[in-house]
Order: sequence, then structure tokens, then C-alpha cells
Amino acid sequence: MKQPVKKVLFATVFAVVGLGLCAPSVLAQGYKPTRPVELVVHTGPGGGSDVLARAIAAMMEKENLLPVRLQVLNKPGGGGAVAAAYMAEKKGDQNTIGLFTGVWLTNPLTSDKAKVTLKDLTPVARLVLEPALIAVKADAPYKSLGDFIAAAKQKPGELKQSGGSITSRDNVVRQLLQQETGARWTFISFPGGGERIAALLGGHVNLMVIEPAEAGEHIRGGNMRVLAQVSDTRLPGFPNVPTLKEAGFDVPVVPQVRGVVAPPDIPRQNVAYWEDVFGKLTKTQSWRKFLADNQFEDGYQNAAQLSKFYEEFTNKMRDILKDAGIKTVG
Amino acid sequence: MDVLSGLMQGFAVALQPVNLLWCFLGVILGTVVGIMPGLAPSGTIAMLLPLTFAMNPAAAMIMLAGIYYGAKYGGSTTAILLNVPGESASVVTCLDGHQMARNGRAGPALGIAAIASFIAGTVGVLGLMLVAPPLARMALAFSSPEYFALMSLGLAMVVLLAGRSLVKALLAMLVGLWLSGIGTDLFSTTSRFVFGQLELLSGIDFVVVAIGVFAIGEVLACMEVRGQGQLLPVPRGLRNLLPTRRDLKDSRFAFANGSVIGFLIGVLPGAGSTIASFISYGVEKAVSRRREEFGRGVVEGVAAPEAANNSETGGALVPLLTLGIPGSTTTAILLAALVLWGFKPGPLFISDNPALFWGLVASMYIGNVMLLVLNLPLVPLFAQVLRAPGYVLYPLVFGVSMVGVYSVSGSLFDLGLLAAFGLLGYLMRKLDYPAAPLILGLVLGGGMERALRQSLMMSDGSLSILATRPISAVMLSLALLILLIPLFNKVNSWRLRALEQNGGVP
Repeated sequence: MKQPVKKVLFATVFAVVGLGLCAPSVLAQGYKPTRPVELVVHTGPGGGSDVLARAIAAMMEKENLLPVRLQVLNKPGGGGAVAAAYMAEKKGDQNTIGLFTGVWLTNPLTSDKAKVTLKDLTPVARLVLEPALIAVKADAPYKSLGDFIAAAKQKPGELKQSGGSITSRDNVVRQLLQQETGARWTFISFPGGGERIAALLGGHVNLMVIEPAEAGEHIRGGNMRVLAQVSDTRLPGFPNVPTLKEAGFDVPVVPQVRGVVAPPDIPRQNVAYWEDVFGKLTKTQSWRKFLADNQFEDGYQNAAQLSKFYEEFTNKMRDILKDAGIKTVG
Repeated sequence: MDVLSGLMQGFAVALQPVNLLWCFLGVILGTVVGIMPGLAPSGTIAMLLPLTFAMNPAAAMIMLAGIYYGAKYGGSTTAILLNVPGESASVVTCLDGHQMARNGRAGPALGIAAIASFIAGTVGVLGLMLVAPPLARMALAFSSPEYFALMSLGLAMVVLLAGRSLVKALLAMLVGLWLSGIGTDLFSTTSRFVFGQLELLSGIDFVVVAIGVFAIGEVLACMEVRGQGQLLPVPRGLRNLLPTRRDLKDSRFAFANGSVIGFLIGVLPGAGSTIASFISYGVEKAVSRRREEFGRGVVEGVAAPEAANNSETGGALVPLLTLGIPGSTTTAILLAALVLWGFKPGPLFISDNPALFWGLVASMYIGNVMLLVLNLPLVPLFAQVLRAPGYVLYPLVFGVSMVGVYSVSGSLFDLGLLAAFGLLGYLMRKLDYPAAPLILGLVLGGGMERALRQSLMMSDGSLSILATRPISAVMLSLALLILLIPLFNKVNSWRLRALEQNGGVP
């Protein structure tokens, strides 16, 4: 991580020269931001999206992909509704983009206050898919997901899972498993990721759906055991842990998805510009390293693919939530 | 010996001139952030995060931590001088701190706050260094029922914050609890009391209410008195601007109480420095021999919450560094920073990166000394602000308040709320309702509701979970005891009156 001043200088010189060279191609597209661009996120500082946004801002700077600075703007509240509404208000604004996650898609399905969907904004690119692990405390009696399900069947409603809000992926995974197996356990919402882990490690809950990077250190420290991974294929960091399907549970894999949106009514060439910038970002060494460090999957899709993904994802989620008995709107 | 050699290694890192410089920069920046209401250390650290990628991680961590604990020093300044809480934990400092300023003792109040911050900050680091791993494991025993009990204990402090009328204090507290319910419910994601306002979906920011009720309310009330020239007495001479030997003696217990309570509450990932400062103020008042003078400007009423607020920092770093579990926004960003620098925070973090951990610990000792040296000379200077006449001071408070609130969210809606809460504060003052219970209710309400509902989910709806878990049972009994104190006092006064009537014969 050390970055000697000399190296930075060199990088800057190269970048300036490089920018000069590729300037015509940028100009040909007709749009280039001229003042700092706001990157809107729906969490407060320190939240998942906020951290990703700041990492992106840093990488853009390091790789010199943008002529201006990216400024992270926190618009927390309403499970993404406030940020989405802010984006909608910025109609036609050329200096604002936003970072969406799965809750921007699921929230409008359950809350009548969340009126702005991704369809009302301008999709730009999908960036990452985050797989997840199903973990228990290291001294728990469950050696496999099957053990846990069997125990949950014996004592319906007595075992507990810690997680985020009811529209979060954590709960969707639980709902899917409950439907598939007929077992029943309780879901307890904790607002902060730290509290969820603390509740598991303290033995107050029995199970949680956790991000691989978060779980890794607790496994190495002997505090946690992973039963299964919510992923289509085994993650490189967890070659010995079965996927849900391999563990014998044929439920759809729900990805946590993150990507970029722009406000409504912005010119087509702006979308092309951002598609290009983020496309380049996902090919850089820094991005590869960032994905590997966090055990994220590369989920890059361009604007057209993202619009299609959005339709499919929303329909799938609506069905899942409905089946789970969660009231849906719209 | 392990600790000693670790500390030596840490000082070897922290005393490198470059790291000393970063530490100094961090604490200066922190002090400024603390003084400016609305500017929070979390936002500042997040803003600086991209800049730290080119830095050595140890240096970056030392600087960011400096901002974190430095901000706690600065927070008391506007609270004491202008009754504007610079950050959430400084609300309690307003109670006696600003009264001291009105009595012409702004200097000693600022001085005691700096000294309390120094002592407690150092105690916090000591705790982080000596007992971090075992304490972190103990903190895991705390879950929702325990948090509910802890917050009930905090809420019981309303008895101690009440002015002449307990009923009025309880009413103010209920309003605070109601305000905390506004916004989106975490469990069902339905919205409550938002009246169609999108801005209310994320709830009402505590800073808006605190600044409105305390600062704006006070200014409105003061403006009724048509006065000329200087409003508050500021004695001349340096000697009168610093705490006396007597002040220090009076604050001895407050330093200790605040340091210990602050650290212990800091270790719990779900509590926070505001609760720490409220509880230590309450404890200080409960054991004080001059209880009735609290709220009129006693020095230990400043020392206790300021100490708690500062040792909380050391405590909050315990779960972060030993388990990778952040308990607050600021620690969540520090965690993100560690990940972005390529570290893996978790149970093995300290043993994997001893140089970073011990370097940070050593830098915090150094940083606390720097802060004391930096802040004490500023005290006489800051105290001069109060020499300003009303027509300067009042607009200054208005300006500082509005900038502070606007910088939190950047929304004009919040400025409207500020005005509304300013009016509420004014009315409360006129009708003799205490403001602190309202703030207490607002701070604790959200967490308390969440903890109770989580507890009930854990127990499948049975309230017995609160009484059968030992830690929660003890704390709930304590809370009950505190609530009963006024009754005992009343009975006692009846008894005394009866004694008098009987001519002193029992």
C-alpha cells in the first residue's frame, strides 16, 4: 500500500500525457464532466455502499479515469428511498450519479413511500455481485446446513438468525430455505453489521448470512464456522464449503448487486461516457485487487444489460417476497 | 512484560518525526471539527479516506484516530460558551458548563473540560492497552435485553435531570421518546409520523433538536431582556480564567467516575458516547453532597460527562481492533479504512499487526498530551468571546447553529425544523420544562425500542427474558431504584416534618 511520492508523480505525469493522447476520443463522445461529480449513496459514512463509493473515488483518482473528482454524498434513510428520490429530483443534472444496491430494487416493492424505481432513473452499469456465506458460531452443534435445518424443524421458531431489514438479502435467503424445507426459525433485525456479528459470537442468535470478507477473519480466529455459500459456484477463498445446491437445497441464489445509476433525462452520450469510464475501471489492476480483497464477483453489465437484469430481478423478488408473506405494493 | 515490550515498540513507531507530525495534524483537525457544531469526525474521516491511500497505514491510522479523539476535546467549547452542543455527547456538558459561563466561570469550565478530557483519554488508552481482548469477549455477553436494560438505566437518570417538577421532566422525556419514533421502522420498513415528508424518512437528527432546544431557545429567552453592552461577566486576569485548586479537588471523583464509565460503555458496540456522558453525569449527581447545585454550574457536572465522552474513544476501539466489530459510525469508517489499506480486521488483527496496534496506542498517549498543551492556552482566548455584547453574541449563536445544522444534512428542511425546535425550547423555558430529559428521550428512544423488540423476538414474546438474564436484571433493578429515590426523599421529608411537629421526640 506504500506509495512513494516519486511513483505518484510519475503516475500523474503519465496520466496527464495519457489524457492528452486520448482526449480526442473523449471529445468525440461529446460529454466530459467539467466540475466535481457527486456520487450519491444511500448509507451513512461507513456503510457498505459508502465504503464502495469511496473506494471507487480513490481508484478513479489513482487510475486517472476521470478529469474531475468524485465526491461521495450520503443521503441515508428509508432503506434507499431518500437517495433514490434525491436522484429523481436531479433530473437532467450532468454532474450527479448514484450507487444503487439490491434494496433500491426491493424497497419499492414493499414500501409505498419508496416511489422511485431504477426504471425512473437512468441505468448506467452493474458493477459487483456479492456472494454470501451462511455461518454459525464455532462451538455450535451444527456441522452442516442440514443439521441446522433439522434442529429448526424440531424446535420451530426457537432458533434465531441475525440480519438486516426484512427486505434484505439475509431474510430473503431465510424465506427461501424455509419454504424449501418447511423448517421455521426467527429473524431478528439489527441495523449495524457489527451488531449482527456480535449477536452471533455472543451466542444470542444461531445463524447469520455474512459477507465472505467479514467472515474470513472470524473463521481464521476460530470464532465461526461456515455451513454453506450463497453462490452458484464455490468461492476461491472457500473451496471446501458447499454451495446451497451442493448442500442439498435447491433454492435460487439471490445476489447482492451493486451498480451505477444516473438521474432521469440525461443525454444518451452521457450514459455512454459513464459506461465507458466504469467499464475501464473494472478492467484495472486496482479494481481486480479490490474485488479479490473483498471476495466480490465481477458483475459488470452495461446499461442495456442492466435494464434487462432489473426487470428479471424485480419480478423474481416480487414473487419471493409475496410467497414469504411480505406485503408488496406496485 | 508483553505489554511493556509492545509499548516500547509502539513508541518507536509513534515517535518517528513523520508520525508525530501526522498525529499533530490529526489532533488539530479533530479539535477544529469538534469546535464546529455539525461537523462530525465520521464525515471528516470519510472525506480524508481517499487521501490516505498514498500514506503509510500506520501514519494514516494515527492521523485518523487523532481526528476521532481530538474532536471529543473540541466538542465542549461551544457547549460551554454558547450553549450550542458541538456534538451529541456535549449536550450534557451544556447543563452545567454553560451555567458556569453565565456565572463568569467560562474559563474554569473550559479548563476543567480539557483536563478531564486528558485524564479520561489517557485512562481510555490504558484500558485499550491492558484489558482489550478479555473485555471484548465480555462485551459479547451483552445483547438486546442487556442494551434495553442499560438504556432504561439511562432513561431513569431523568429523575436526576429534573428541575423542580418531576412530572414536567417526565413529560419532556415522553416527547423526546415520541420524536425518536419518527422515521422508517427498521423491522417492518414502514414509516411512522412522517406526514408525507420524504425528509422525515430518516428520522429527525438529534443535532437539530439539541441545538434548537438548547441554543436557539436560550437566545430567544435572553433576547427578552433588553440589555446594553456585555452580557456575561468575564473576569480579568489569567488566574481567574483557569480552574482553581478547589475546582480540581471537587472534580477528583468525577474524573475517575467518568473515565471508568465512559470506557466500559464504549466497549459495548451498541451504546455510544452520549449515553456514557448522561450516565456518568447522573452517577456524579447521585453521589454528590451538593446535589441540589447541579444544573446551576458546578464544576464536576462538566468534568464527569467530558471524561466519559473521552474515555469512550479508547473503549470503542476495543471491539473494533480485537474483533473487527464497529460500534459507531466513526469506528465503522475506521474499519473500512483498515480494509481498504489491505488489512483484515478481526480476532487476529492485533497479533498479525503488532506494530500498527502498538503504534496507535503509543500515538494516543502522545496525542492526548498534545491536545492538553494545545487546548489549555486556548481557554483564556475562547473565554474572551463572551465579552461580546448581545447584538454580536446572539447573531453569532444563530449563525453558528444554522451553519452547524445545515452542514449535517445539507437540507433546508432541517433549518425549518431547527426554527421549530428553537421555539419549542423557548416555550419550555418559559413554562419551566427542563430540556435535558427531552434530549435524553430522543437519544435513547430509538435504541431502546429496537432492543426491546429484538429481545421479545428472541424470547418469542415473553417479557421474562429481561428479568431472567442476570446483567439485565441487575441494571433494571438499579433503574427502578433510581426512579424510587424521589419517593424516599418525599417520605423522609414527611417524617422530618412530623418529627418537628412532635417537638423532636421520635
